[in-house]
Amino acid sequence: MRSRTLAAAAVITASSLVVAGCGSKGEAKSTSAVSSGTLAIGASLSLTGQLAREGQLTKEGYQLCQEKVNAKGGVDIGGKKTKLDIQYQDDTSKPDVAAQLVDQFNDKGIKLILSSYGSANTEAQAAVIERNGQVMVDSAGADNKIFSKGYKSTFAVLSPATEYSSSIVKAIAELATPKPKSVVFLSADDGFSKTVTEGGMKTAQDQGFTVLGPQYFPNGTSDVSSALTKVKGEHPDVIIGSVHLVEGVAIIKQAKELAVTPAGFGETVAPPTPDFAKTLGTAAENVLGSSQWTDATKGTDKYFGSAKDYTKDIQAKFAHAPDYHNAEASGACLALVLAAEKAGSSQPDAVRAALRGLDTESFFGKIKFDSTGQNIYKPMSVIQIQNGKVVTVWPTESAEAKMVWPGTK
Amino acid sequence: MSGFLQATVYGLLQGGLLALVAVGFSLVWGVMNVVNLAHGGFVILGAYVGWEMHQWFGLDPFLGMFVSAAVLFVFGYVLQRFLINLVINGPIFITLLLTFGLELMIVQGMNLVFSADYRSIGTSYSSDSLAFGSVRVPLGRLLAFALAVAITVLLVAVVNRTRTGMSILATGMDRGAARLMGIQARHVYALTFGIAAALAGMAGAMIGTVGTFNPSAAASFTLMSFVVAVLGGLGNMYGALVGGLVIGLVQAWGGQYLPGTWVNALAFLVLIVVLIFRPTGLVGRPYYAARLEV
Repeated sequence: MRSRTLAAAAVITASSLVVAGCGSKGEAKSTSAVSSGTLAIGASLSLTGQLAREGQLTKEGYQLCQEKVNAKGGVDIGGKKTKLDIQYQDDTSKPDVAAQLVDQFNDKGIKLILSSYGSANTEAQAAVIERNGQVMVDSAGADNKIFSKGYKSTFAVLSPATEYSSSIVKAIAELATPKPKSVVFLSADDGFSKTVTEGGMKTAQDQGFTVLGPQYFPNGTSDVSSALTKVKGEHPDVIIGSVHLVEGVAIIKQAKELAVTPAGFGETVAPPTPDFAKTLGTAAENVLGSSQWTDATKGTDKYFGSAKDYTKDIQAKFAHAPDYHNAEASGACLALVLAAEKAGSSQPDAVRAALRGLDTESFFGKIKFDSTGQNIYKPMSVIQIQNGKVVTVWPTESAEAKMVWPGTK
Repeated sequence: MSGFLQATVYGLLQGGLLALVAVGFSLVWGVMNVVNLAHGGFVILGAYVGWEMHQWFGLDPFLGMFVSAAVLFVFGYVLQRFLINLVINGPIFITLLLTFGLELMIVQGMNLVFSADYRSIGTSYSSDSLAFGSVRVPLGRLLAFALAVAITVLLVAVVNRTRTGMSILATGMDRGAARLMGIQARHVYALTFGIAAALAGMAGAMIGTVGTFNPSAAASFTLMSFVVAVLGGLGNMYGALVGGLVIGLVQAWGGQYLPGTWVNALAFLVLIVVLIFRPTGLVGRPYYAARLEV
């Protein structure tokens, strides 16, 4: 009897982790893609659950896009101004829910979709999009796997996963003096982070670094002490984390506790996020990170203006400095809007064809998609936390400051 | 060798913190037969109270945690007295569902009030460490560990030596008989739940100091409390401490000698092995296991 009670408790405890993600799908009003002067676009977002923070930043990017487009009268479809109406649903950070929501949008006649946050969610959505004949612009799913499956209806404005760490390696190889000799990758074990690590290791080898064996830990963990203890004895010159915010913060915090002191730290997604410097304080100083966008990005468009204008708008509307998650979301929304205008239609086939032929400048940089749906122009920038602020240090032509090296004192 | 020593030290410190997270969960389960799925929510709520105290009043988190404890005690007491007591006589599934619902509400409430931003209570010393040869002992974690052990010992003393503590034990053993002796079961249950919530709040403030937190971390603390409580065993106040230390060490050693992604699976493997050989947990008492059949 006790074992039954225990088993029941165990099942419910475990299911709480799963079910926590299954609620709040919400109801959206039934609508066709264009009805009563509005262009409906579906966006499933991670508003609760593990990715709620990044999901919220993505939503802000979509919201600003809607506001900017509608402030100019709306989307110009065949000479008729149509108000943009982005409908949000919470996918609770679960890929299966994100995919179901895309189906729900399809049932309601909404064929144009803006992606959820993260590679896992976007990958799950892309398969459904392809099956339903919908069209999705991907703002935050960077895993190269998404673009290797022959999908014709998913278009990503951002750089692929391999660039996240490769850009940091290239920046260090080019700018760090004395040039470090060895590098080790500490990586979360999700698909995106593993792809990032593999890409970074290859680039590091190509650049002549001695690449030590990578250390993996569970995605989302706040304890990376084992990985740090293991690499401590190898005395690497550079530690690069293929991580999200939680693991990224843990690496810096626990490296200090354990006195692991390479010449410098680099981390992918974490450092450009405002929470990183806020949470770590002075420990965040000189940590390198890679960013999909910075306010030094060149290019303008009719809705957002320049990257500097975009910075001001995010600051004014949401009272914080823009994060690249904001910008890539707005960039994705912009690509979809421009494609609909170019097509003169909101029909998915026409918009898909217009996206394939899109070649434009924007506050997010140039946007043009290759046959796999990736943005061929998209470079990544490398940033560094200097005096608590995120500054661009690479590529040098758009650098705002010189890279501080060695990063740890 | 230094890697092993470092892993051991870190594992013990981490285990002490886990023990404090789980001790309230174990207490409530042992005394009231309630598996409180909102426990992780209490932990994170405690972290937010500690954060607010530090942010607005500059209170050191090791002082702020007493404010967390006070706030969570009141919250826990009221919750039990006026809500969970309503269904306390029902099957265990009812309390499970109720506390599961509470967890969802607490987490969503924190999302609305505090946002999903990651936070950490920054102190000048929380990332400092003491050096013993090549082994580092992180200061913040050492303080948290010492407090976790001290609080557990204090809890045992309170429960075994004071009239209130004995009334908690008595109600846990036989509610009917305790009532006949003049003990107000409803009040004692609320008191127990309040104490458990207060301990969770203190643990939360410490977790906020040595790590990072946001509302979605609540579920993992509930799950970890469950594992620690079952591993240590019910009916012995030291159960959570033993369970926490074992899990901390297993994870640290596993992380040191196996691929880092295996640590969680390893913790559950240890749980399964222990339950096969000691179904009442490492130091649990069979009486409490039998009582669960009620």
